[in-house]
Amino acid sequence: MDISSGLRRISGNNVLFSKEEMIPYTRDASEHQGDFPLAVVIPESVQELSQIMKYCYENDVQMTARGGGSSLTGSSVLNGNGVIISLSKFNKILEVKVEDRYALVESGVRLDDLNEFLSKYDHFYPPDPASSRVCTVGGSLSTNAGGLRGAMYGVTKDWVLGIEAVLPNGEIVQMGGMTLKRSAGYDLTALLIGSEGTLGIMTKAILKIWPKPEKVGRVLSYFEDIESAGKAVASIKGKGINPQVAEFMDRISLESIRLTKEIEFPEKTNYMLLLDIASTKESLERQLKEVATMLSEFHPISVKVTTDESEMQKMYEARKGLYSSILSQRKSTSERVVLSDIVVPTSELPATLKEVKESMESFAIRAAIFGHIGDGNIHANIFVDLSSKEKVESVERFQKELGMISLKHAGSVSAEHGIGMEKKDLLKEEFRLKNSPGTMELMKSIKTTIDPKNLLNRGKIFDV
Amino acid sequence: MTFEDPILQLISDEAGKCINCGFCESVCPTFPAVGFNSIYGARGRVDLGNYLLREISEKGKIELRFSDSFYSCLSCNACLQVCPAGVNAGRVSELSRTVIANLDYFNEQNEQQIAKMIVSVTMKYMNPLGVREKCSKWAQDLHFEDGSRTLFYTGNMFQLMPYSTSLGRMKKLLGKKLSQRFAGFISKHPSLIKVAGLSLDKKMKSYMETELRNIVTLLESSGISFSYLGKDEPYPGTFLYDLGYEKEFSEYANRVYSLLKAKGIERLIVADPHTYDLLTSKYPKYVRGFDLEVLYYLDILDTKKFKKSDASTTLHEPCLLTRGGKINNSPSRLLSNLTNLELPKMSGENTSCCGGPDELLYGEIAEKVSQNRFLQLKSVNAQKIVTACPICFANLNKSEEVIELPNLLTSLLNEN
Repeated sequence: MDISSGLRRISGNNVLFSKEEMIPYTRDASEHQGDFPLAVVIPESVQELSQIMKYCYENDVQMTARGGGSSLTGSSVLNGNGVIISLSKFNKILEVKVEDRYALVESGVRLDDLNEFLSKYDHFYPPDPASSRVCTVGGSLSTNAGGLRGAMYGVTKDWVLGIEAVLPNGEIVQMGGMTLKRSAGYDLTALLIGSEGTLGIMTKAILKIWPKPEKVGRVLSYFEDIESAGKAVASIKGKGINPQVAEFMDRISLESIRLTKEIEFPEKTNYMLLLDIASTKESLERQLKEVATMLSEFHPISVKVTTDESEMQKMYEARKGLYSSILSQRKSTSERVVLSDIVVPTSELPATLKEVKESMESFAIRAAIFGHIGDGNIHANIFVDLSSKEKVESVERFQKELGMISLKHAGSVSAEHGIGMEKKDLLKEEFRLKNSPGTMELMKSIKTTIDPKNLLNRGKIFDV
Repeated sequence: MTFEDPILQLISDEAGKCINCGFCESVCPTFPAVGFNSIYGARGRVDLGNYLLREISEKGKIELRFSDSFYSCLSCNACLQVCPAGVNAGRVSELSRTVIANLDYFNEQNEQQIAKMIVSVTMKYMNPLGVREKCSKWAQDLHFEDGSRTLFYTGNMFQLMPYSTSLGRMKKLLGKKLSQRFAGFISKHPSLIKVAGLSLDKKMKSYMETELRNIVTLLESSGISFSYLGKDEPYPGTFLYDLGYEKEFSEYANRVYSLLKAKGIERLIVADPHTYDLLTSKYPKYVRGFDLEVLYYLDILDTKKFKKSDASTTLHEPCLLTRGGKINNSPSRLLSNLTNLELPKMSGENTSCCGGPDELLYGEIAEKVSQNRFLQLKSVNAQKIVTACPICFANLNKSEEVIELPNLLTSLLNEN
């Protein structure tokens, strides 16, 4: 059907139709190729968005919301015939109330922009996905994004007090509020977090904010084996020290950032451990020394302590750009990189990593392994040669195997990237292994209640 | 993908490294300026680059209109600074413009008539608006050291600003279609460009001519002498390169070089970042045996000649001096030594473009980009907002605090 006049009537020049304009909206940061949208709408207000959604609902047009377009599972591209709704113009920070510890923001605000703004108040919003430069509040809420500071501050769901969203039929709804506590019926704010735009399109969020730590220092340690690094982190946490950031990178990752950022490492290194300690000015030095001493007990190649902000920032940016920079390590131009994301309880990490390595060997997979060791989150950047069907299938089997390893160790098939189009089968598997297939049915019935026509981000998380 | 056509292969080499993370889009100045339409953002341009390659590979031609996306790229390289994989989205646009200009794979709807007009006029008059002679008027009562092998080479950049601001207004008045038709007509009859040459912004002309005189004063006060070519001075060909007319640029750059060599020139003192970048990074690739020494005027000033000021300043750093060929006496170094400098949000290698490169082809985009940047500069609340490039000045000149660097430096010269 021709929806152009209807959309134009509501949104005027905020609608794009030409084929060339659709091209960028068929991709996000995943390897999933989305379908060409019938149109892209970039509304300016919640009322406009509401009218657009009402129009689409009445005319059975599928809708997919797009924030920064940085999804790693294909959740921000279209699966079928429909429109993309970009939230780029919802980019205002509306209110910051330090004494009440919240910021009211529109959903298209990018996380780095939010934190730059909050730094004026000596506060910050802790969830810190590697894509924080580009990802938006709405996108990070819809995938319950985690990030580097997860070891200390948890994930997005721990920092959201309320949401304004538009339901598929165009109704504008408010959930939660400005208070740190609330016990008022079902927690619909929590329901929307991680729903990947399948239940409603978020337009505003009330986010909890926190005072910036007085001082942060870093301990870098280099290991020949990952088991020692894993045990070292467990020991540090066991003694009551909670690093703000606890990351690890393998050798391929280190070679990638050596090439792109000129960051060196000791030659025998197979794994690097990065621990950031946030503390007071008075106690930081003592804590850094304690951590360095504890690490030394696990036979590292070397340990380095730094409080140099520019050096720390350079490494932090390198870590955040790792997904992209790892492509520099490909062996041929037909190779691409797909990113995997699993999580296990931190105590299960050493055993899990050992199995991941064994699985890589049995599937003849080349991958960079890195992640958030502080919260048990492992990423595998897997090289896949698109010119070989056999190799592509092998990578797909390996991806599934990774999910199964995480489930075997009481983990989950997705830590922070969501399910999207990528892990629908694995999600089913997760609940099957928990002997709880009813959980999937419960999710589907919630979806059907809120979106009976299945128009919002169809084909993501599960098929109805 | 591999291609026999070297330009397509270069696009493939660059765009093929992209993983579509979107970091570049977050800093691309044209993306918010065009209402967040992704084909006007750095990531969208790389996506179009990859699509272009697939289409050529499968069908041998492109049926869609890509030119607005690639031509509106400011080539400011902000994208490259933040790309974790080192992808230069600006380079993808630059190469794609060359593919469009060659018309081997694109249909005529992608042709930019204004670009064609500029190319045609430049090749005929060695000046993009046919006003080469008029570009020497600022110096008519000044005395230079005739015969000196060191040449003060303006590249006509300061002098063209009053014409380009005026042309921008004319284009707005004519509307998109009519100005394209007008430009198409002139590209076939370049001598008619003289009509455009009649229109200029007089206030801007006066300011730019004073700036050139200020630069001469600054150089002379540092004890430097030089010659000037007057009405013989050629435009360096910046537009030819930027608009993707590589073959024409190659021929033109060699003409300019031969002209300078015939005059016995060995050394050039240049006064704007665009000419400096072109002569130091593009000429050596296109002119075999290019052996002219190229100096940036700030680098040869005697800094002991300046007095300090209590004035608070902020600085709009030109993209090409922070991310392109760097100089020793950078504007930020000079200003931090001489004034109370506070840099704005987005500075140093992360400076944000003024929008200037879009002025002629996409005036509305240029205006929005410059407005966004001006607000960042204004929010510093400094007494002076300093620009260090004639194009940046022409675009950011939105309040009385805005001043070009030569103007400020001249006011800081010691009296004796």
